[in-house]
Amino acid sequence: MASPPSTDDASTPRHASAPSHTIRALATLTPPSNSRTWQTAPHPSSPIVATACSDRTVRVYSLTSFTLLHSITGGHKRSVRSVSWKPHVRGQDVLATGSFDASAGIWRRQQNRLETEITGEGGDDEEEEDEYQFACILDGHESEIKSLNWSPSGQYLATCSRDKSVWLWEELEEDNFETVAVLQEHDGDVKCVAWHPEEDLLVSASYDDTVRLYREDADDWVQVSCITGHKKTVWWAEFEGSALSKKDFRAQRDKLAEEQTRHMEELEKSGPRLATCSDDCTVRIWRRKARERGHGTNDGIPSIIRSSAIDEDWYEEAVLPQRHERAVYSVSWSQRTGMIVSAGSDGKIIVYKEKWKTPSPGKLDATKVNGDGNTTVPDVDAPLTEWVVVAELFSAHDVFEVNHVVWADRADKGKREGEEVILSTGDDGEVRVWVLDEQQEVAP
Amino acid sequence: MDDKQNANPTILSLSDLPSRRRESNVKRRDDGATGLFDDLIPQYSYLNDPFEQPLSSSDSDDGSVEDIDEQEVYDLISSISDPEHPLSLGSLAVVNLPDIHIQPPSSPHSSISTVLVEITPTITHCSLATVIGLGVRVRLEQALPPRFRVDVRIKKGTHSTDEAVNKQLGDKERVAAALENGTLMGVLRKMLSTCE
Repeated sequence: MASPPSTDDASTPRHASAPSHTIRALATLTPPSNSRTWQTAPHPSSPIVATACSDRTVRVYSLTSFTLLHSITGGHKRSVRSVSWKPHVRGQDVLATGSFDASAGIWRRQQNRLETEITGEGGDDEEEEDEYQFACILDGHESEIKSLNWSPSGQYLATCSRDKSVWLWEELEEDNFETVAVLQEHDGDVKCVAWHPEEDLLVSASYDDTVRLYREDADDWVQVSCITGHKKTVWWAEFEGSALSKKDFRAQRDKLAEEQTRHMEELEKSGPRLATCSDDCTVRIWRRKARERGHGTNDGIPSIIRSSAIDEDWYEEAVLPQRHERAVYSVSWSQRTGMIVSAGSDGKIIVYKEKWKTPSPGKLDATKVNGDGNTTVPDVDAPLTEWVVVAELFSAHDVFEVNHVVWADRADKGKREGEEVILSTGDDGEVRVWVLDEQQEVAP
Repeated sequence: MDDKQNANPTILSLSDLPSRRRESNVKRRDDGATGLFDDLIPQYSYLNDPFEQPLSSSDSDDGSVEDIDEQEVYDLISSISDPEHPLSLGSLAVVNLPDIHIQPPSSPHSSISTVLVEITPTITHCSLATVIGLGVRVRLEQALPPRFRVDVRIKKGTHSTDEAVNKQLGDKERVAAALENGTLMGVLRKMLSTCE
């Protein structure tokens, strides 16, 4: 929520660095819903997306033709708040849906039109196709499900709810789900759950302003870290993709200073970072403190209580330049470029990029720009990188709030090699598709 | 009806409520002053007479960028009924004109305006404060053009759990879920039935 805007005003008209990119409208998925849409999930391999709608349905659209392929109806009794595609499934599409009716649904559809969807050609002649079939229902939460997410391997499904709990489900055999864990660490609604891309490490973000991480320890899922720093509800959490060091600012390896090389090695040890966004109008980056090997396990103290060796230390690495004036509902980390996009109640879409700090990080640039005193950065050095805003779009959904934003691979005929689009989902019931254009340098 | 949270609320008389016609005559309730016997004064039901309602702007939700001022916002919410008394939020001084603040767009690129309403619950531990706040938020979201963001808060220091209530009222997802709750919607519908 916005603090009294008078105090914010001074910081808004900041044009220190002109944006280097523009966000251009490519399409609106049609037909739109006529009531609020909450979230859009791109399919892990096919050029389709699923959109969670407040009219109790899920809409599946094509990213090649930008048209509606399927409406999944008749399942939930209240708003569908969240959707997630199960990864690594062969021959069928499996979708999990989480609803305000406190239940999660599993839906299946045979992929009989593989060729049209993979090639992206002939997307216009989608006729009567097999519909999504209701497979099973996951009951257990006491109140609204706010978010759900499959683990990268597809082994686990995590769900979270206003009942303050996170549930972990494992599919033992088709449509037979077992509750693996019920995690009740939060003191308030759990708004979002997400998975680390390489490890079975789960993160949850909450109304209690904290972010918590969990992993399995001797057959038991336990909290391994609690991140504090946001001052209000944390709406979304998402991990950085895998192996981004070959794609983002680190890809260019020539002429690096010694500290820069060291920074990259350290970052590699930390692994993918975590981005979170909040009602406090900020987007923050968290990083795992790399573990020192062989320490803490052989100190001779028999462990009756669980070993603390599993605990992780996550610290705040950066606060992104603050451009949002109201709650930031969603943040997404590009798997291809490492860029971050955020959106929220103020209707803006902001794209950020990380880069080496200039002038070169040689001698003590002692000004510590990240953080606001809450978290101590263990390394005394000033940060070597900085996040800059590369594009800023006002009124992405006219006057309406933007509930969700996510990167997806571009799939229409105009796509360039390896290009991505940004999908935004709004209170106006629309899912809009945007491309990020690099601005041509205009001579004065 | 003995279990009302506040059986003896202070009530303002209609002539004391701010309106466009008598702006110079706006009188604020002096908190802590008399009012002890005010509730003995009978027959407030006329407040709910539809013909007595100030003409509000339910006809102005065509989205056109016409100016909406604090008085107009006040008119939209002062006629909401209290959930436990047959009285309006205006006459109970739960909503007050000086506690309504409109912020214009913060940048020429933006068309988003903000309405902040601070409500004053009749007693400091009134658990209905959340419902009242929700009623105000819902009323304004339905009646104002969508370019307005509506923030409803408990006026600082007037309620024992104001931070917790504010957090709930500011949470879009919770508000959306509440509006899908049939029982709660029934209460809200009744509160809002005296509007328009």
